[in-house]
Amino acid sequence: MPLSLDLANLPDADVAALARQGRESAYRELVRRYERPVFSLIYRMVHDRETAEDLAQDTFIKVLNHIDRYLPEFKFSSWLFKIANNVTIDFLRKRQLKTVSIEGSPHAATRADAEATSFDVRSTNESPLEEIESRELGSAIEQAIAGLRPEYRACILLRHVEGRSYEEIAATLDLPLGTVKTYIHRARHALRDALAHLRE
Amino acid sequence: MDRHLLPEEIDQLLDGEVGFGTAPLKAHVRACPGCSAELESARALVRELEHLPHFAPSLEFTNQVMAQVHVFVPWHVALLDMVRGWAPQSRAGRTVAWAWAGTMAIVFSAAAVFALTRLDTIVFAVGLGLERLRATGVGVLSDATTMLFGDTAAHVVSQAGTIGAALALLVLLVATALAARGLHAVAALPRRR
Repeated sequence: MPLSLDLANLPDADVAALARQGRESAYRELVRRYERPVFSLIYRMVHDRETAEDLAQDTFIKVLNHIDRYLPEFKFSSWLFKIANNVTIDFLRKRQLKTVSIEGSPHAATRADAEATSFDVRSTNESPLEEIESRELGSAIEQAIAGLRPEYRACILLRHVEGRSYEEIAATLDLPLGTVKTYIHRARHALRDALAHLRE
Repeated sequence: MDRHLLPEEIDQLLDGEVGFGTAPLKAHVRACPGCSAELESARALVRELEHLPHFAPSLEFTNQVMAQVHVFVPWHVALLDMVRGWAPQSRAGRTVAWAWAGTMAIVFSAAAVFALTRLDTIVFAVGLGLERLRATGVGVLSDATTMLFGDTAAHVVSQAGTIGAALALLVLLVATALAARGLHAVAALPRRR
């Protein structure tokens, strides 16, 4: 038995088992391994750094506080991404309910009422955080990804950025395999069209 | 094949699917510049997606997460981690530590075996030592009693035996404590004035 725990070289299931035994270093190793992939996925879903960080923290807190529920026969990363996706989708749904139309209230009866309830989103000053977000997510392909429907976006990111198989994505997102293939196909098609337009 | 590839068939080739149905598709791509370009365009998109970077959260991310995670550390795990913390990290250091621990174990084992074989001698020596200690203590107590309370008191204490000696010692300690308190009170008087 090694005197010091060499966690970096252990598979996820072994690190999770050590975390269940109460080793704080194992918890930290799991966060270290997946903070970037989880944060990146959520960041590309919500397009706001602060929100993405909050949601990523919520994801890890939920997973680590319930580490005793992890079943070693399944991939730890699949479970983690499932929680991350659920947390993100819940947030996006709540944000959609709270969204105010920039074109005015949908209940406005006259043009004057619509103008009165609309607001100008133009901002002359970009905060440092917005500047970082523009730089990170401003490329043509990032803009094209942002234009996808959330379910297509999640599938295409898990497939090509995280390198998950169709079966893993289906298990992670609780979707039938055929639906995952359809979403990825449509996402690819939409991205090719969007990139062709953006580059014109 | 007398038609161009459908989008689903492009996806099939893109995902590297193998099987009975892909051979005609591959043959068509080799022969059709349009479908070949379409497939290459799809491959370029996938390459671009696969090269997208992972973004890093803030530096305090892990600490912020751990501040809200409940880690229950069982006592045996904490003890093992403490021992691991003491153990040297280098291979040479661990070798020296193990050698020292082994040597100490052999020395203590040899001492224990020696003590067991000489148990009667050890018991006799300890008894002799305790007797001498008792005699010295009685002598000191007797001298102290004579000095403080006179020969008569010393004679009474020596006649009273162990209990009498213990009572005399207790009286002596109480008297010493009272005297020290009194001296302290006297020393403190000029400061109050």
